[in-house]
Amino acid sequence: MELYELSAKEAALGVRTKKFSAVEVTEACLGRADKFEGSVNAVITMTREAALERAREIDRKIARGEDAGLLAGVPYFAKDNFCTRGTRTTCSSKILENWSPTYNASAINYMNNAGAVMMGKTNLDEFAMGSSTENSIIGPTKNPRDLSRVPGGSSGGSAAAVAAGYSPLALGTDTGGSVRQPACFCGVQGMKPSYGQVSRYGILAYASSLDQVSPLARTVEDLAISLEVLARPDPHDTTCDAYDRPSFTAALSLEDLKGKRIGVFEGFESSQMDADLYGALQTAAGYCRDAGASVEPMDLPIAVKYGVATYYVTALADASSKLACYDGIRYGSHLDGPTLNEMYVNTRTACFGEEVRRRIILGTCLLTEGFYQNYYGPALKVRQRMVDEFDELFERFDAYILPTSPSLPYLIGMKETDPNRLYLGDIFTVPISLGGLPGINLSMGFNADGLPLSVQLVGQRYFDAELLGIASVLERVMGKPGVAEPGVKKSTNTHKDEGAK
Amino acid sequence: MTRQIVIGLEVHLQLLTKTKLFCSCSTDYIGHTPNTNVCPVCLAVPGTLPLLNDGAVALASRMGLGLRCTIQNYSTFGRKNYFYADLAKAYQITQYELPVATKGYLDIECDERTKRVRIHHLHLEEDAGKLVHPTADGRLTGAAYSLVDYNRGGVPLTEVVSEPDISTPEEAKEYVVRLRQLARYLDVSDGEMESGSLRVDANISLSNADGSLGTRVEIKNMNSLKALERALEYEISRQNKVLDSGGRIVQETRLWDDAEGVTRSMRNKETASDYRYYPEMDLAPIVIGDEEIEGYKAGMPELPWEKRERFAKSFGLSGEEVSILTEQKELAAYYEAVAAAGAPTARAANWVRMEVLRVLNELGQDISDFLVKPEALAELVTKIENRELSSTIGKEILDLLAREEMTLDQALERTGARAGRMSGDALGELIRRIMSEQPDVVETIKSGQDKKGAKLKFLQGLVMKEARGQADPKETAGLLSKFFAESTK
Repeated sequence: MELYELSAKEAALGVRTKKFSAVEVTEACLGRADKFEGSVNAVITMTREAALERAREIDRKIARGEDAGLLAGVPYFAKDNFCTRGTRTTCSSKILENWSPTYNASAINYMNNAGAVMMGKTNLDEFAMGSSTENSIIGPTKNPRDLSRVPGGSSGGSAAAVAAGYSPLALGTDTGGSVRQPACFCGVQGMKPSYGQVSRYGILAYASSLDQVSPLARTVEDLAISLEVLARPDPHDTTCDAYDRPSFTAALSLEDLKGKRIGVFEGFESSQMDADLYGALQTAAGYCRDAGASVEPMDLPIAVKYGVATYYVTALADASSKLACYDGIRYGSHLDGPTLNEMYVNTRTACFGEEVRRRIILGTCLLTEGFYQNYYGPALKVRQRMVDEFDELFERFDAYILPTSPSLPYLIGMKETDPNRLYLGDIFTVPISLGGLPGINLSMGFNADGLPLSVQLVGQRYFDAELLGIASVLERVMGKPGVAEPGVKKSTNTHKDEGAK
Repeated sequence: MTRQIVIGLEVHLQLLTKTKLFCSCSTDYIGHTPNTNVCPVCLAVPGTLPLLNDGAVALASRMGLGLRCTIQNYSTFGRKNYFYADLAKAYQITQYELPVATKGYLDIECDERTKRVRIHHLHLEEDAGKLVHPTADGRLTGAAYSLVDYNRGGVPLTEVVSEPDISTPEEAKEYVVRLRQLARYLDVSDGEMESGSLRVDANISLSNADGSLGTRVEIKNMNSLKALERALEYEISRQNKVLDSGGRIVQETRLWDDAEGVTRSMRNKETASDYRYYPEMDLAPIVIGDEEIEGYKAGMPELPWEKRERFAKSFGLSGEEVSILTEQKELAAYYEAVAAAGAPTARAANWVRMEVLRVLNELGQDISDFLVKPEALAELVTKIENRELSSTIGKEILDLLAREEMTLDQALERTGARAGRMSGDALGELIRRIMSEQPDVVETIKSGQDKKGAKLKFLQGLVMKEARGQADPKETAGLLSKFFAESTK
């Protein structure tokens, strides 16, 4: 086994027990990136020297017999919307093209304190707005499982990095599916924790009430270890809940699903989604039953009918105010103008991409007098109805499974002309975000064309540890995704690439 | 035709916290180099999040209790969105739907009657930065560029919104004076209009002929109590003129121009900003438990009206005396200390409100800077009460004590008043000497020409002056008449 194929747990253990050094692991991962980055394009900024220096520091610590941390010497990438001190943080936007923060996001500090080695900053859809990682200043990231396809998004760079073996771990942010969906497309594990588990301090916001720092990895155990490191109260973020988290790794000792009640989502016409993914959902239901769970069908009528609309009203309204600070005065790109207003208009028109501008304008309209009463107000109420719907559901179930995405990864350039269809791809992920629930994308191998299959496992809010326990039982049956050998799949049998209708 | 005047005020008070509302920067921003009192949070650096200052919540709650409001167990913040260079985030974090305190009142005294002004609510919000225009008059017009100073950005304010219960400019002024007094009593704000720690916006309308409410106009930029009164007076006459000539009032915001003495239209309803209010999702709601509210209540100091009542009752003072003494809580405390040190309360009240205030005014001091200890003033006032000292010499001693660090004994020594009260033989001797020095006057009196007693008074004055005020006026008068009686025998 190559060092770049190790899980985070294995890498840290090997480094701590001096089976190999942190520098060796880091170099192996850097080598992987060197080999494939030209074709994958997952990374905006590579911090090679800093990573090697950091790895040497970890090795010295271990040589001195000091505790180097839970993630000692484990390479990781962070999506380029995490603030990193002295390392530029672009959000894939021209408006922050040359901006270097003076501080680290809390999540970055937690990772570093645990001994992890940051390798660089990964690609995303500009300001995390998108689900294909095509809207970026460095161009699209390609899916390591099939380079002709998108990696999903917005955390597509992080998902691709983990799939291609650039690192065993990566950080993304999930607002409406931005980690779960790329994990699904790239065939890796990804988890959006409950809202309020992980500090948002230092995350360049998209929507404050939905954004959540979310890890990507190739094993459920690595997701649990990541939460062990990341999920804690932060005095810098009052929306990050201030309570002692249970051990996320201890929850992995769950042996089977006896006594667990698992719901299987059946509120969506099988014809409306990719047959292979529908099949995967049925297979997963079988696995649950085999593991001893009682499995019942369930439905989310409100979430399915209103989820996407509610999500976009909520997220875009928030984004329109959170992105207003980019005025070109204090930081970021700046274009002059004869008046203050023209300066704003020139800067924001030239430096925000089309999708970002579309969402800011929509969000602004949604909050305008008259529209607020018709859109934002009702959206808040529907969101509460959805939370109620989930609450009722969790009286009957401990967790439920549903697809992560209605479609398999599509070809690059395929869908970006039709934003409406792009939005529909979020139908299974956004209700979970609106409910603040934890959701895990669990890989389930590949279809006949070698494209990744997966299922989404969703739990009750704050029951992240229990959900990881159930995921680990299922992973034993489904198998852990391996590292991809990036190339173009020469399949004759391309699936219908239409997604949700 | 007299139309009824309807005024509501919005008063912004800068809270006396050490740090800003959502970060650890200082609230002491005046006079600092621009953009040095800032941090990533108040500069809205991407990724930063606001952290609520609990001290600001405590102060707003105190103010709310002082205004007899209900403190809300649960209140939230919102975003008021607008682009302007002095607003770093391009939205102001304020309380919109659920403010921290609601429904209270403040009683004011006007034309010797008490009027109750209801408080609609009180909420917390952050201040904006300041634009600096490099023109001679500091105005935007003609400036080639503008500079932004974020030092003030994020300073905590509480906005007190009254119901439209105010009926005259005078009442408006009185309301602000009482509100400011309350804020100072509670150590909530120093309430200085000149430095901007107290700002007033007014909403004013004149009722229609049928008694229904007229169109409301908002007035801003009134930087003193005088300006508030003048602006409202101007606006009443302006609106009356418009209505008298058959015109109609436009709903708009007008700026008061103090130099010209007029209000000018700033923006009307059509061009008014739509602030696109939105819930602030970066902050958890403010939750104040009942116990906490009880704690705030228990920690409330004596309020101005409570102090007035107590002063009137326990010190037997008149309404006007009490008003002056309790205007500032520091002066009231000083007076109480003088009284507690044994001074006769009525005379002490007179001395504090007349002489102490006179000296402070002369020296340009606050009562907190005053060198005269309450005990010293108490002793001085007692001596005057007991006629050991005249008022004249007492004032002289007070002037000395207020200007130099010295004890009362030293001051008595310095003024020559140390020898104690002059009377009996000593006084008689002095009177005889003065009579001998003024033979003409003595002759006039003896000859019975001093019909009105003016000459006798003149002699008495000379005696008192020579005695440095230590002679008892009654005894002096008695001795004088006795000597004249003897000499005319």
